[in-house]
Amino acid sequence: MAAQTLTGVNVPPAQTWNYLRINDISLELPTVVSKGTVPSRLPRLFSQMECGLGKEAVSWIEASAGDARYVEVPRGTTFEEPILVDVASDGGEVHDLGVLLREGASATVVVAARGTGTGAAASSAALVRVIVERGAHLKVVEILSVGDGNQHLEGLGIQADDDSSVEIRQYALGGARRAVGLAVDLAGKGASLRLDSRYLVGGHDLLDINHVVRQRGRNTRCDIVTQGLLEDAAHKTLRETIDLVHGAKGAKGNEVETVLVAGDEVVNKTLPVILCDEDDVAGNHGASIGSVSPEQLAYLAGRGLSEDEATKLFARAILDDAAIHAPEGVSLACALERAEQVLGAEIAHDAADTLGLEPTNSEDEEASA
Amino acid sequence: MSETTTPELDERGRSKVADVDRSLYDFKKPEEGYERYGDGLTPDIVRAISAKKDEPAWMLEMRLKALEVYHERAMSPNWGPDISGLDLDHISTYVSPQTKQAQSWDEVPEDIKDTFERLGIPAAERESLAGVGAQYDSEIVYHNMREEVAKQGVVYTTIEDALHDPKWEPVVHEYFGTLIPMRDHKFAALHYAVWSGGSFVYVPAGIRLDYPLQSYFRLNASGAGQFEHTLIVVEPGADLHFIEGCSAPKYFEANLHAGAVELFVKDGARLRYSTIENWSKNMYNLNTKRATVGAGSKMEWVSGSFGSHVSYLYPTTILQGARSTCEFTGITFAGATQDLDTGCKVILNGADTTASIDTKSISKDGGINTFRSSVVIGRHAERARASVSCQSLMLDDISRSDTIPAMDVRCGSASVGHEATIGRISDDTVLYLMSRGCSEAEARSMVVNGFASPVSKELPLEYAVEMNNLIKLEMEGAIG
Repeated sequence: MAAQTLTGVNVPPAQTWNYLRINDISLELPTVVSKGTVPSRLPRLFSQMECGLGKEAVSWIEASAGDARYVEVPRGTTFEEPILVDVASDGGEVHDLGVLLREGASATVVVAARGTGTGAAASSAALVRVIVERGAHLKVVEILSVGDGNQHLEGLGIQADDDSSVEIRQYALGGARRAVGLAVDLAGKGASLRLDSRYLVGGHDLLDINHVVRQRGRNTRCDIVTQGLLEDAAHKTLRETIDLVHGAKGAKGNEVETVLVAGDEVVNKTLPVILCDEDDVAGNHGASIGSVSPEQLAYLAGRGLSEDEATKLFARAILDDAAIHAPEGVSLACALERAEQVLGAEIAHDAADTLGLEPTNSEDEEASA
Repeated sequence: MSETTTPELDERGRSKVADVDRSLYDFKKPEEGYERYGDGLTPDIVRAISAKKDEPAWMLEMRLKALEVYHERAMSPNWGPDISGLDLDHISTYVSPQTKQAQSWDEVPEDIKDTFERLGIPAAERESLAGVGAQYDSEIVYHNMREEVAKQGVVYTTIEDALHDPKWEPVVHEYFGTLIPMRDHKFAALHYAVWSGGSFVYVPAGIRLDYPLQSYFRLNASGAGQFEHTLIVVEPGADLHFIEGCSAPKYFEANLHAGAVELFVKDGARLRYSTIENWSKNMYNLNTKRATVGAGSKMEWVSGSFGSHVSYLYPTTILQGARSTCEFTGITFAGATQDLDTGCKVILNGADTTASIDTKSISKDGGINTFRSSVVIGRHAERARASVSCQSLMLDDISRSDTIPAMDVRCGSASVGHEATIGRISDDTVLYLMSRGCSEAEARSMVVNGFASPVSKELPLEYAVEMNNLIKLEMEGAIG
């Protein structure tokens, strides 16, 4: 398959020294072939939305996805059933979803990108753009476990109006190369974002994340908590930007990252940025990067745990968290499959039993539907 | 408590912070009789500077190569504050007051002597310094060191003099341009093409100086550049505190400062490098500073940045030796028309190395502050530890403050902690202090002084006084 190089992916709003190679990432992706069809596109109000990945990557996804899916949640209604984006990575699927949450509406969007990576290396992608109108509530759960040989692009763009709230749980659990972009525009007064991001990177895998939150409305609130485990020769880059825009009086933005490094050849890059163009605001960032200390290891050894087992405990905590917060069967299956790959079948089943989670076969679910 | 005056209020009724009264620094002397090379940058100008200094052939060769690199290299399009107002075709790279270097202030021409008297340099030398170098435009006009210090084998001279000394020329040749290569960035190349003045310091093994050495750089000429080179070698077990000060009167034309500081701190040594930068607000301050640190040694930076129109300033420390440490303490104050991109870089390569970065920034009157840092921990830096703390204070809603810290960790046993906060003086704090009898102006002033004090307390008394005066001029002048 012909390939193209996509440059300038995951570029943060403020960049730093180019020699650090932290400002962006380049990806080799299949060349988009025009099939002479007329695919459906999202309404134009989605076209200007940022999603963290960058314009070139968005264009690639839009061109590769074929038909885009548009969902509108009427005013004041609650969608009980999650809006699911089920990405089969092994097949190189690309999805493009636009959601409009009308005033006071409530919905959950789930992205489950899954694959085994056992066949030929594939590149999959999902692009989700959501407009959250006044007083609406959006919950997003992303579980990305695309298989060890596969590459995946994940873009999420959200615009939040007055007094709306956005809750995101993002789990980057596996895949050879993953580029994850997220841009949230807290445009309306009192809009809020809570982002919990978890990642597991091992082997020679690469994870590249770009989180951008623009706080434009008065009294907006942003809390980002990122935790991750890096093993072996994992390569991770996390860019996290809180942009306190002029006029956002009373805005508060907090970001914190905790990384556990458990590999001798790990590359761990972090660029936590706060941009501040307003005085009546508060911006805070904290980061903690480290390994399990010899004292902690000695303590754990005293309880019968080896270093490897201790590290697995941390991995299990992240995988358990993903499984607990998976709101429907496909994403739950995705999390549990990954748990089985990382922890082994016995521990994964034990974890599922302990948590009272029943893995659901997605084929079964589709059949029952 | 000091007597209060009625403060000017801003549109929200809060005490307004006044602009700095720069009369202490903002005085000009005529350039009559000075030697001034034509504006722009050509091989002929570079040759003329080299010939004027009667340099060894290797230095001229280096200058000409650097000029080529300067023309080859482009600025990164995504880099920092705008410097499009800087046009090298309208900058003179060499201006000399046509006076010999003196060892006594009595031998310094009256107008230049008056300049440094007003800046307090001779008085500081008498009271608390082991040696002083004073540069006026492109040349050092005064250089002296206490006899007892010289007897210990300490060398404090100009690079030019060291190049003419058969004993020290090989040492300069060995170190010059090795820590900051000319290909480092465009303005490093410019520096090596036209450098002039600066200091060479050599502290022999085991020698500890009780008093600091100080170099003061004054750029009097309008539309000119200053390109001094500071080269310091601190041998094993030695200890030195070096202070650098700089100022210039304000002109409407752009001035340029593109100096270079190369610091070699050998095993078990300690070097403290303190800077109070107070360039005028028409200055492009594109300075490069770098230190390499040996085993068990310590590098300390204390940095106060108050002046300049635009600054790119990121002192770099390479912790090469095991158990070496670096402390960086800095404050940057950006007021109207200022866009200051400052911070630091630390590269931890040795095992058990530690780095501590503590910075403060204050923005007011539309000033822009960018704190930029990088902490890079290499593959073999076992158990290395780094902590970065960055606090920014916004004094009004027309200013800007950004923090862009990068971390690149490649060692499993290393640990890094980072924290950054941006905010304003909280109303609760002001209210609390006012409930204890302070006026609002006094309360705000106290908070700002407390915010800056961790930096000023790291300086010797006389320089802390100068720094506090600068802060006072910026912060307290109008509010009591």
